[in-house]
Amino acid sequence: MDKILLIDDEADILRVLSMSLRADGYRVVTAASGEEGLKLFERESPDIVLTDIKMPGMDGIEVLKKIKALSDEVEVIMVTGHGDIDSAIESLQSGASDFINKPVKDSALAVSLKRAHEKIDIKRRLKAYTHELEDTVALATRELRRRSNFQIKLIRSSNDGIVATDRELNIVIFNPAAERIFGFPPSAVINKKRATDIYTPEIADVFREAMRSDSPEKEIFWQETAIESKDGETIPVRFSGTVLHEKEKMVGTVAFFQDLREIKRLEHELVNSERLAAIGQTVAGLSHGIKNILHGLKGGSYLVDIGIKRGDTERLKNGWQMIKRNIDRTSDLVLDLLSYSKEREPEYEACLPNEIAADVCDLLEESAQEHGVDLQKSFDPSIGEVLMDQHTIHSALLNLTSNAIDACLFDEDTSKDWHVRLKTTREADKLIRFDVTDNGAGMSDELQKKLFTSFFSTKGHRGTGLGLMVTRKLVEEHGGTIAVDSQPGTGTTFTMHLPYDTLTDG
Amino acid sequence: MGKKVLVVDDDPDVRMFSVTVFEENGYTPLEASNGEEGMNVIKQESPDLIILDVLMPRESGIRLYRRLKTDKKLKNIPVVIQSGIAKRSFLRSQKALTEFGGAVVPEPDAYLEKPVEAEDLAGAIKKFIG
Repeated sequence: MDKILLIDDEADILRVLSMSLRADGYRVVTAASGEEGLKLFERESPDIVLTDIKMPGMDGIEVLKKIKALSDEVEVIMVTGHGDIDSAIESLQSGASDFINKPVKDSALAVSLKRAHEKIDIKRRLKAYTHELEDTVALATRELRRRSNFQIKLIRSSNDGIVATDRELNIVIFNPAAERIFGFPPSAVINKKRATDIYTPEIADVFREAMRSDSPEKEIFWQETAIESKDGETIPVRFSGTVLHEKEKMVGTVAFFQDLREIKRLEHELVNSERLAAIGQTVAGLSHGIKNILHGLKGGSYLVDIGIKRGDTERLKNGWQMIKRNIDRTSDLVLDLLSYSKEREPEYEACLPNEIAADVCDLLEESAQEHGVDLQKSFDPSIGEVLMDQHTIHSALLNLTSNAIDACLFDEDTSKDWHVRLKTTREADKLIRFDVTDNGAGMSDELQKKLFTSFFSTKGHRGTGLGLMVTRKLVEEHGGTIAVDSQPGTGTTFTMHLPYDTLTDG
Repeated sequence: MGKKVLVVDDDPDVRMFSVTVFEENGYTPLEASNGEEGMNVIKQESPDLIILDVLMPRESGIRLYRRLKTDKKLKNIPVVIQSGIAKRSFLRSQKALTEFGGAVVPEPDAYLEKPVEAEDLAGAIKKFIG
């Protein structure tokens, strides 16, 4: 039950009222003056104060003001003289909850007390509710801060550079990875620069396009580009981004940047090491050919020495020829190497492919006969004068046809009647097909795989391992294709397709 | 007549070089341009030593070497390989053939990798047949 402090200078009134209130169940303390009342108030902390206004010394209104200054929770009811409306109004203005007229009637007091009690109750509940609310808010704030901290940490620790903007493209988030890429410290860009200030025009356009209200694409998928850093360094990056929306409304953009410098460096290293490996392979592949040539040169000079020593002109002549032959082989090898390593633009000139093929057969006829190989021609007469690169046709056919003769030469089945057939066919789409077929040794699948790709030779002293590689290169430069079909023991067909152009008038 | 030395090589320059070395050192030269021809010469002439190339048309030095070293009558003829192919490639090929069911063959008596000096070739021959 509430505790009531009664303040009145009239002892009788105090006695009567306190008896009546105690009877109603209140705890009551009494004071005979304003000063005493204040002291008691501080000591007893009553819930309700009932004070007379007119008192010698400190009057009721002053007591009210002092009490209200001490606590705003207490309810103060003023007891006024009959018709003293001015004092009543002043009391209410100073924070009194109610006033009752003298003489104090039990019924009026009960109503007033009930009202005061209700107010106290409401106040208490309000206070409790407010506390609860404050606790909840504090808790929610803590949770929010925790989550936001977590997200900030996440953004900070991301390896991708993250740049977020508001809808005007002002930068609002700029993480350390973005700093590493763009070179700006976050303090120099956040709320100070627009994304378009640090993006390349290309990237900026991508975002402007995505931000257009009618743009169907709000997601920017990963793409490779380069940015220019604060210090003017061009940095290869991969970026993606998205236009951010909240409830259908655009609120900004975010972009993610991946620094590709390390990847590019590794790629570069890989290319370098592949080139070194290719050089190593080249040297290893060529070494056999070079060793044979050196052996020939040593042999030639040995014969020349012996010839001089013995005055033997036959030896001298043979030695000198041997040296010259091996000088020629050196120059062939070097020229092959050069033409393999050098880019060459085909020179398209009017020519007769069948005649070039015939020339190749003439060149090789002697060697074919010597080895018992029948060299057959099968040329399509509908192939007339066309625009092609003569050098490509000649060099490729010479290589393929002499290879075909060698394939017969290397065949261990001597019961065969060897032949090599060179065939030309005009095909649709302005293509000429050249087939070089032999019934010689043939090749295993494993061998066929190595053919065009490595310095590889099975041909003893003849092979440099370069021939087919040069041929393939020439064919590809001419926009053509070359393929092989072979069976061990049965033979091989190389098929080459080369595009041609018709002659235009004039 | 000196002892007979056979050179089997498809490159005429190599044969001429070898033959000159044989003659200069008092041996009787024999020549063959591939493995098949080489075998015929060996059977007819019974050379005292064979200088053998590895990569040749018709029959390679790898096969001829195998045939010689698995033939009771011929396996004691010293064989000196003279080739642009490295020794380990030659041995690897022999090993592969052995694994494919062939007989085990010994390593060649001497292996000369081209280019070969005339004195080295003469020295190798001398070592085996004096």
